[in-house]
Amino acid sequence: MICGKSMRIYTENQIVKDSLIRCPICEAINIDNGGEIVCRRCKEKIHDYKSISFHKTVAFLITAMILYIPANLYPILLTKKFGVVHENTILGGIMHLWEAGSYPVALIILFASVFVPILKFIFIIYLLVSTKYSLKSSKVDRHKLFYITEVIGSWSMVDVFVVAILSVLIHFSIVEIIPGRGATAFALMVFFTMLSAISFDIRLIKERY
Amino acid sequence: MEDSKLDNFIICKKCHTLHRKIKLHHGTKALCQQCNTLLYRHHQNFIDRLLALSLVEFIALIIAFSFTIIKININGIYRGLDFSSIFYTIFHNHYYIVGIIVLFFIFIFPIVILLSLILALILMKLKRFKYLVKRLLILIAKLSHWSMIDIFLLSILVAMVKLFDYAQLEFSVAFIALILVILLDIFTLKRVSFSDMWEEYENIYRKSDSKR
Repeated sequence: MICGKSMRIYTENQIVKDSLIRCPICEAINIDNGGEIVCRRCKEKIHDYKSISFHKTVAFLITAMILYIPANLYPILLTKKFGVVHENTILGGIMHLWEAGSYPVALIILFASVFVPILKFIFIIYLLVSTKYSLKSSKVDRHKLFYITEVIGSWSMVDVFVVAILSVLIHFSIVEIIPGRGATAFALMVFFTMLSAISFDIRLIKERY
Repeated sequence: MEDSKLDNFIICKKCHTLHRKIKLHHGTKALCQQCNTLLYRHHQNFIDRLLALSLVEFIALIIAFSFTIIKININGIYRGLDFSSIFYTIFHNHYYIVGIIVLFFIFIFPIVILLSLILALILMKLKRFKYLVKRLLILIAKLSHWSMIDIFLLSILVAMVKLFDYAQLEFSVAFIALILVILLDIFTLKRVSFSDMWEEYENIYRKSDSKR
C-alpha cells in the first residue's frame, strides 16, 4: 500500500510470536529464551532475568516517588531581595506565574514539573501491575504507554534548567536567585524515573509475570 | 530461526508489531501498519550526508558552548548566560548533585554522542576498525536517552518569558548556534533510526570482510 511518499508494509501475523524481541540498542530481532538475553548483532545484554528487571524497576520507581515529596515541599528557588529571602516551591512558582498573567509559561511548567512525573509514576505502576494481574488493555496499548513513558521522561528537567539559568542571570547585589534544596531532589527524581523506565523489561508486557 | 531470516523482519519501536522488511524505492519510507511510526527509510549517500550534517552540528555545538547565549540588561547592568557560568554558579552555591546532573545532561552527553557519531561515520567510510565502530554505535544508543540539549533550549525560552517584564534581553551568537544544533539534530539522530545505522554498519563490514 503506497500513500504519498510513504509505504506501509504488512504485518506478519502468521509469525507474530511472543518469542521475538527487539534489541533496544541496535533494533535487531532476537529470539527470547525467557532468561537473560544477549543481542545476536551488537552482543549487548538486552535484559536481565525478568524478576531482576521487575525488582530494579520497582526499586527505582519507589526511590523516585520518595524524592518527589521533598522536591515539592522544599523550595526549588530562593529569591534574595535586599537581604530578605523568599522561598518558591514548584507549585508556588506556577501560581505566581499564573497570577502574573504568564499563562503559557505557567502551563509549560505545570505540565513538565507536575503532570509529567505523576503521569510517569502512574504509567510505570500500571505496567508493573498489568504484568501481575490481567488487565483489560491490549499488548499494543501497553507498548505504546511504555514508549510514551520513555519519550516524556526527560521533559521534567525543564524546571531544573530554568532554575540554573535564572540563578546565573539574576545575580546582582540587591536581588539574587539561588537554587533551593528542592532542585536537588527534583533532579534526582527525574534521574530515577528515567532509570526506572529504562530498566523495565518489555517482555513483561507480553505475558503475565 | 536463523540470523539471516531474523534480519528480514523489523519490530516497531512504539507498538512492537512485527513486520517483514521490503526493499524501498528512492525517497520512500516504511511505516508501521498499526501506529504509523517510521520503521526505516531509503537513504541515499547515507554516510556522506550524515557525516556532513554531524560535522556542521559539531561546529554549531562548539560555538554554543563557547559564547554567550543571552544577555540581559537591567537598568544598565548587564549579565550574560553561557555554559561555563551555569556550572560555575551551581557548584559555587554548593549544589553539587544538580551541577553534576546538569553538566552531564547538557554538556558531556551531547558532545560525546556527536563525537562518537562523527568518529563512527569516518571509520565506516574508511571501512576500518569494525569493533571500535560497534562500541561507538552502542555508546550512542545508550547515551541518546540522556542528552537534553533540546530541553535546555526550551528552558532558556521559559526563563526568557519569566524575565521579559523586568529586563531587556539580547540574543547572542550561541543562541542561534543552539537553535541550529537542535534543527540539525532532527536531521541526524532523530531522522536516522538505529536500525538504519546498524544495517549500514553490517553492509560495509560484510563487504570488506568478504574481500579479504
